[in-house]
Amino acid sequence: MAALTDVQAPPRDRLSRARALHWALAAALVLASAASLEVGATDVRLSALLAKLVQGEALGQMERIVLLDIRLPRLAMGLLVGAALAVSGAVMQGLFRNPLADPGIVGVGAGAGLGAILAIVLGGLLPVWARDLAGNQLVPVAAFLGGWGSTLLLYRVATRGGRTSVATMLLAGIALGALAGALSGILVYIADDQQLRDLTFWGLGSLAGASWAKVAAAGPMIALALGAAVLLGRALNGLALGEATAAHIGIDVQRMKAVAILAVAGATGAAVAVSGGIGFVGIVVPHLLRLASGPDHRTLLPNAALLGATLLILADVIARVVIAPAELPIGIVTAILGAPVFLWILLRRRGLVDG
Amino acid sequence: MSLIAEAIRVRYGGREVLQGVDLAAEAGHVTAIVGPNGSGKSTLLGALTATLPHEGRVRLNGRDIAGMKPWELAAERAVLPQASRLAFPFRVLEVVRLGQQAGTAGDRPDVPLQALARVGLAHHADRTFQDLSGGEAQRVMLARVLAQVWAPVEEGRPRWLLLDEPVSSLDIAHQLQVMEIARRFARAGGGVIAVMHDLNLTALFADRVAVLAEGRLLATGTPRTVLTDTILSRAYGCALRVSAPPPEDVPYILPHAASA
Repeated sequence: MAALTDVQAPPRDRLSRARALHWALAAALVLASAASLEVGATDVRLSALLAKLVQGEALGQMERIVLLDIRLPRLAMGLLVGAALAVSGAVMQGLFRNPLADPGIVGVGAGAGLGAILAIVLGGLLPVWARDLAGNQLVPVAAFLGGWGSTLLLYRVATRGGRTSVATMLLAGIALGALAGALSGILVYIADDQQLRDLTFWGLGSLAGASWAKVAAAGPMIALALGAAVLLGRALNGLALGEATAAHIGIDVQRMKAVAILAVAGATGAAVAVSGGIGFVGIVVPHLLRLASGPDHRTLLPNAALLGATLLILADVIARVVIAPAELPIGIVTAILGAPVFLWILLRRRGLVDG
Repeated sequence: MSLIAEAIRVRYGGREVLQGVDLAAEAGHVTAIVGPNGSGKSTLLGALTATLPHEGRVRLNGRDIAGMKPWELAAERAVLPQASRLAFPFRVLEVVRLGQQAGTAGDRPDVPLQALARVGLAHHADRTFQDLSGGEAQRVMLARVLAQVWAPVEEGRPRWLLLDEPVSSLDIAHQLQVMEIARRFARAGGGVIAVMHDLNLTALFADRVAVLAEGRLLATGTPRTVLTDTILSRAYGCALRVSAPPPEDVPYILPHAASA
């Protein structure tokens, strides 16, 4: 039996560290946002504009447009997309009880990719009124519908008698991904050179097309999905003990799965639709946070939103400055920075991956 | 107050693993479920905890569990599974807190450490769960379960501990420690149902014993009436002889006496 002296030294508490991290990440996000407004292809500087405003001078027409219509919506979109990808990654890892899971598992990526390719290659075949209705939002709308549709299909396949099997979902996702890849291949085969170029750049991901219209379209969906996801903290903690034990400690496991899958499909679908394929944020961010402050999802999920937004905004800054005045697709930046971190995770967690 | 199961039937892939089992467990008692491998012990516990789809009715403290929400069940009973794998590197104290948050002990900061102290692991509170040995991990899970139903009786209603082979990976000292914890919980007014493999520990600690064989209830009663040569030999399919030496009034089982 334990002596009472055992009880006297209180153990270190990672929860308070995670909460402190919350404020540090919020500050980092503010700094990254300022950097994002400061740099760009034109010689408009946030710092110079602020100095002008302080001295009571009015902003020029060009400065106004660059700041309010180009950089600010781009910043807002980076924030939304980064938060969406990082939180979706953390939720998927919790749901599949695997630190290497990402939103691609529920078929969002494959479905969204197929939707985008359909729009790019066959969009010209649509009747004129439909093209006018969609305007230049045809690709994002098709990508969102493709991602959302494939997730719903997977969810239906994996759910029997009111219970969703995450293992079935994983396997069906691989099959659906292969099918979507093959259909995309057919479309790539019949595409012309300009369409191929569009396809390639869509796949690399970019925030370059950011506009207030896109922010208004993706923002509410992402905000709603993230709001729902952040409430899953306690349920995902319980699920770490296994599905049966999660139910024993009072969690409605089936409802949690449905909320998690729909939230991830919504957030990732909207993010991919407006920014294309941006990899590694969803895997790297939650892992870094687990190393820093432990796996408690109640703090992991909000911190992932903050860190994901910060890192994506910084990646966008890098994408804009390294080969200015041209810019790199942001997916290249996140992959170059994220892939080494991912390899590092694999090396550290080899035991876990090998089973 | 009691936990009563009536006519429980469970099917796995066409095979009927439980063929209409009745069980009545009283608060204040340790009720052991024994029987050979594959007799349906864990399946019965799965039905009692609403984990497995089943026919028949289970009433917990007078309420049908089919109509209860997961969090209502979690406030009245805690379940210790046979083995636990944890997905992320939680620390020992954090694991115990997961149990506490599910029960009615709320956020009382002293409960998780007290629960760990009870299983003799308070000094491991800061360690990562995955770094523990199998036996230590099982005791941490018992602490988690205890933290969930910290008060054996609350507002006149007993809380329940449902334990699936709680001593399976423990050395003999810790087997006794864990069974003593279960007994103290029952003596304080709570209810305990434990699936047991070890017939001697069952004889030592159980107030009531239910013997399962081939998906049916073979016998139920006190250890003295149930742990007999005839019943055990029939249940386990080999000749067993139960002995009770004069000074101790507790039966014990001699595998030496088994003959084909």
